[in-house]
Amino acid sequence: MIGRVGGRARRIEIAKGTNRRLWAGLAVLGAALILAAAALAAAAPTRDEYVSRLEAVCKPDAEATQRVMKGARADVRAERLALAAGKFAQATTIFGTTVKGISAAPRPPADAPKLSKWFGYLKNQESYLMQITAQLRAGHAIPAQRLTARFIHNGNLANNVVLAFGFDYCSFKFSRYG
Amino acid sequence: MRKRRLPGALARRSLPILVALAVLLALGAAPARGERTQQGNLIVSLDGSLAPLKLPRDRLAPVAVSLEGGLQTADRTLLPRVTKVELGLPGQGVLSTRGLPTCSQRSLRNAKPPEALAACAPALVGHGKLEAEVLIPNQAPFEIDADLLAFNGRVGGRRAVILDGFSADPPTVVVLPFVVRRGSGRFGAVLVADLPAALGPLPRLAHFSMTLSRRFSYRGRVHSYLSASCPIPPSFTAGFFSFAKATYTLADGRQLSTSIARSCRAR
Repeated sequence: MIGRVGGRARRIEIAKGTNRRLWAGLAVLGAALILAAAALAAAAPTRDEYVSRLEAVCKPDAEATQRVMKGARADVRAERLALAAGKFAQATTIFGTTVKGISAAPRPPADAPKLSKWFGYLKNQESYLMQITAQLRAGHAIPAQRLTARFIHNGNLANNVVLAFGFDYCSFKFSRYG
Repeated sequence: MRKRRLPGALARRSLPILVALAVLLALGAAPARGERTQQGNLIVSLDGSLAPLKLPRDRLAPVAVSLEGGLQTADRTLLPRVTKVELGLPGQGVLSTRGLPTCSQRSLRNAKPPEALAACAPALVGHGKLEAEVLIPNQAPFEIDADLLAFNGRVGGRRAVILDGFSADPPTVVVLPFVVRRGSGRFGAVLVADLPAALGPLPRLAHFSMTLSRRFSYRGRVHSYLSASCPIPPSFTAGFFSFAKATYTLADGRQLSTSIARSCRAR
């Protein structure tokens, strides 16, 4: 009888000890999660910080695009399609590098869905540039013309998604393309 | 004998109407048409079109240019004061006023549309709408919707588009001259208006729409106020070009601008 009571008490003690350890573990886990969240919040930029970080990446690339695309529209008008294709190829490379560079930047958590949509449009832009280059290289004027219409439309859609960000160099501007 | 319409047939007939209504409602819900840019809480918009869209590749043809744009604040607060508006027009277009009668700003002073037309109908080159918010100290701001008439004119020896705006409620007449200047880059001509001199400090420009088009006879030939071509090679059927650019200078010195690209088709 005494042995049974002692065993029960021991079991209760063991259970209490397990509970304590469980609670302590949960507390540590909770604290770790709070610290991790705080660290993430500290690392996540505000919208203004994000915009200036991205603009710093986009500015030299936008200027380089304008340089390499100089005269592209005149080339198309004069039916120098191979020459125009070369310029579009350079612009595509620059665009790809820019998108890769700005994709890596940490995003403001509140803007994550909007930015994800924007990056979707940017990927489409890159794809259109590649396709325009290929069609111009092949001397296919009409498909290149159709793709250019889509490229401009998609660029405007991209701008609308991030309108509130007030981008300048990171926004689509038709005037940069020749 | 009249056929009885079946419910299914009715539904089939109604569907396109419903779809069209849904599209119209969706368009109506859109805050602004055309391309937009934002700086701070201020959104600038610009839209425009060329008519007809099909133009000769190698010679000019008469066209009408429609532009629509304005300013709005993202948080619906009061608009800032605009001191200058510049509208760049496409480089492949030509603005021709040779032989077109002119109208003076004086003839339009306090002139409602019938009086303005009575004085200057031969110089009419377009029409439009203007919306502005008016802020009078110690009063709630109110809106003005004005109908615009555009006349060919001269200001300070330069060609100008003189806008005569009339609002019935409250009764207001404004005369707003846009001086035609040579554009730079892709824009052949720029229409420039200095707002404070014409409107005073109270109105805040919100939205405008304007269509410029006029055909007139001079020395036995028909001329067009605006003409354009679609200079693209034979292997292409359409071309894209920088169509217009709107730049607003605000009272605090800031400049906001937006530009639009449009296409033309070769005929």
